[in-house]
Amino acid sequence: MYFDSLQQLIFMDGHGVYVWSAFIISIVVMVGLMVKPLCQKKQEFKNIQLHIKLQQVNQAATQKEALDASHS
Amino acid sequence: MNLNLQWTWFHRLGSPRWFYQKTQRWLPWLSFIMLSLLVAGLVWGLAYAPPDAKQGNSFRIIYVHVPASVVALAGYYLMAIAGAVGLIWRIKLSYMLMRSAAPIGAALTFIALVTGAIWGKPTWGAYWVWDARITSMLILLFLYIGVMALRHTYSSHEAADKASAILGLVGMVNVPIIYKSVDWWQTLHQPATIKFTGAPSMHPDMFMPLVVMIVGFYAFYAVSLILFTRAEILRREYRASWVKQLVTDKLAEK
Repeated sequence: MYFDSLQQLIFMDGHGVYVWSAFIISIVVMVGLMVKPLCQKKQEFKNIQLHIKLQQVNQAATQKEALDASHS
Repeated sequence: MNLNLQWTWFHRLGSPRWFYQKTQRWLPWLSFIMLSLLVAGLVWGLAYAPPDAKQGNSFRIIYVHVPASVVALAGYYLMAIAGAVGLIWRIKLSYMLMRSAAPIGAALTFIALVTGAIWGKPTWGAYWVWDARITSMLILLFLYIGVMALRHTYSSHEAADKASAILGLVGMVNVPIIYKSVDWWQTLHQPATIKFTGAPSMHPDMFMPLVVMIVGFYAFYAVSLILFTRAEILRREYRASWVKQLVTDKLAEK
C-alpha cells in the first residue's frame, strides 16, 4: 500500500474529502442503477399478475353471462 | 441461402424473448466480472497507485471520472445506434435498448460532471468553469434527459420511440465535439489521458488501475443495461404468452 496507515489513506494529505466524496457519490449512483431496474422488474411482475387475474375474472364473467343467456 | 441464414440470427437477436432468456444466463457471469474488476480497480487506484507529482492525491478521482466519462460517451453511440436500428428495421428490442440506455448514460454523465467538479476545486480552485469540455458534457446530460423525457410526451409508445431516436441521432453531433474539445479550444480541462494513437500520458503504475476501472465500468454498463432492458421487456410485452407463462411459473414457485 502507498499509505503508511489507515488514517493517511482517509486523510490523503488534505485531499481525502474530495477523493472520498467523489467515490462515495459515484458508488451511490451506480448502486441506484442496479437497484432501480430490479425494483421495476418486481413491479412489472406484480402488474402482470394483476393483469392475468383480471383477465381470468373477465373470462369467468363472460362465460357466466353466456350460460345465463342460454338458460333464459 | 447464406444471406437468409444471416438475417435469421439478426431477427433472433431482435426478439425480446430470446434476449430475456439468454441474459438470464449471462447476468451472473457478467456481475461477477463487474464486481471483481471494480473492487480490484478501486483498491488499486485508491490505496496502491502513487500520487501525481503536481496534483497529489486528488488525482485519484481520475479512477471514477475518466471511466464514467468514457462509458457515458460510448453509451451515447449505443443509444443513438439502437434508435437508428429501430427506425430503419422497426425492431422492438432496439427501441427497448435505446430507452434503457438513456437513464444509465444520464447517470454516468452526472457522475463525470460531479466528480469533475469535485476534482476541479483542489486543482483549479473552482468547482465549475464554463470550459468547452465541461459545457459539452453538460449538453450530453441534457440530451440524455431529453431522450428520457420524450417518453412521457406522447401517448403512444411508437411515436415516443421515433421522436427519441431522432433526438438521439441529432445529438450524436455532440459526441465528437466532446472528444475534440480539448484540442480545438483553449480549455482549462487537461488533454486526453488515453489516446487511440500514441502512448498514454501516465506512468504504468497509475495507468493500469485506470484500465481495470474502465473495463469494470463497461461491465457495469452491460449489467445495468441488461437489467433495465429486462424490466422494459416485461413492461411492453405483458400481453405476450411467454411473459404470462413466466409470471405464472414464478407464482407457482412461491
